Amino acid sequence: MQLYDPTTSGPQRELFRAPSLTCLDGKTIGILENGKLNATQMLRELARLFEERHGCKVRAVYSKSNASAPAPAQILMKAAEEVDFLITGLGD
Amino acid sequence: MLCTEPFEVTARNIARVLGLPSYPFLRVQHPIGSCTLSQLKARAQAAYEQAVPILLQA
Amino acid sequence: MPLDARIHEVPDNLLAAIDYCYEKGWTDGLPVVPPTLERVHATLAYEGRPPETVIAIHPATALELSLHGAAVNAVMAGCLPEYFPVLVAAFEAMNKPDFNFHGSTASTGGSAPLLIVSGAYADDIGMNGDVNLFGPGNRANATIGRAVRLILRNVFQMVPGISDKSTQGHPGKYSFCIAERMRGNPWPLLCEAQGYPKGVSSVTVFAAGGFCNVENHGGNTPEQVLSSIADAMANYGCITLGQSVVILAPEHMRIVADAGWSREETQAYLFVHAKRSVEGMKGVGKYRASEYEKQHGADAHQLVETGYVHRGLAPEDILITLGGGEAGGHSCFIPSWSRGRGSIMQHKPIGVCIDCK
Repeated sequence: MQLYDPTTSGPQRELFRAPSLTCLDGKTIGILENGKLNATQMLRELARLFEERHGCKVRAVYSKSNASAPAPAQILMKAAEEVDFLITGLGD
Repeated sequence: MLCTEPFEVTARNIARVLGLPSYPFLRVQHPIGSCTLSQLKARAQAAYEQAVPILLQA
Repeated sequence: MPLDARIHEVPDNLLAAIDYCYEKGWTDGLPVVPPTLERVHATLAYEGRPPETVIAIHPATALELSLHGAAVNAVMAGCLPEYFPVLVAAFEAMNKPDFNFHGSTASTGGSAPLLIVSGAYADDIGMNGDVNLFGPGNRANATIGRAVRLILRNVFQMVPGISDKSTQGHPGKYSFCIAERMRGNPWPLLCEAQGYPKGVSSVTVFAAGGFCNVENHGGNTPEQVLSSIADAMANYGCITLGQSVVILAPEHMRIVADAGWSREETQAYLFVHAKRSVEGMKGVGKYRASEYEKQHGADAHQLVETGYVHRGLAPEDILITLGGGEAGGHSCFIPSWSRGRGSIMQHKPIGVCIDCK
């Protein structure tokens, strides 16, 4: 007998990471927090280590209004323009 | 991108579906929400040690 | 048939075909009906649009659900073809941004979409709004709900442990679909209250957490019955700004309706009384100043009481209607998965297009 496949393969995509940094000294950092408990504090503590050890500076903190939805494209585009690297988190 | 250990499989699955299967994540101990400040600092140190080579890697 | 529809050749043996579906990982742990071409085509005949029509898109992965994919999974769930319009309308409702399709299916909070079918279509396809409302035994209730789960797994890849990170899950993640009880309902049906034209049925989708039975056999006033429900709604494990579903048993509805209470008055009473003090919330580590501000700020509902955290933002956040068997003082409360406003219940008409462009 013949059976239809119930799954979907989805669109074939290939994405690329942003180019790596040559050094970390003096770079600007963005934080994208997802509203979960301790999210901002966690990401700030990580950013603080870059500030203390490499002279980086947190330039902006962005927020997702909904933890379980993708970040709006305009936030990501803004971050890409404004900072050298973004620190964010996934899940709880 | 930071995730706690139970969510690593989720993160890898999403990365695969979105077309970046080898995307490197920072893995820290779960949970985050109920952590004290000193616990968050310890997790930040662990994340930092993973983040530096990722940011500088070609 | 869509151009990219994939077909599997399996031995012409029903039990072997069932085993094949297991081996491919297509099931929810229970045997499925093998999705033969004939049965899928018969299901698609209940839809006028081409089978490749996309009816829902996952916001995080962009995976798409077509009518074809929905029909294949509907057959596997055991649906009859005439159930298909309910399933299609349900996913079109879940596709609305305010439902938050990803979060409500992936979160540790363990939600499952609850479908409430309102109107004559529920009767037409033999759905149950009566005794054992959330229990087994009715093919339409069981298989429509199950089709939702199979689609989430097979099409949207919300696989338990991988993308679905529910901490505990709940039994509604097998099937969670009911009909609103029409017999003896003193209030306007949901489809009427939702503004649909006379004769149009609807399906409401709600990102639901676990089910809480509320027993009260001694209360004989609306205040007594509803206070026990409000207490369930305000339990520390549930109280959030999220929405609620309350299904009143006929025994309880008779008490409320005989006293002349409308749906709106009932919602208002529940909203006023489903609350916890700020001190209490702080005592269990659940107080959030931002959430208190959201509830008590410039847009605060007039019934919000200072010093208390209410469940939801307004009485309209409580969907309440009639359901269940004639005997038993057992109503139920089902909280939204969303602790904030991350998912808002949505609805769509069944089998008709009210606002087509």
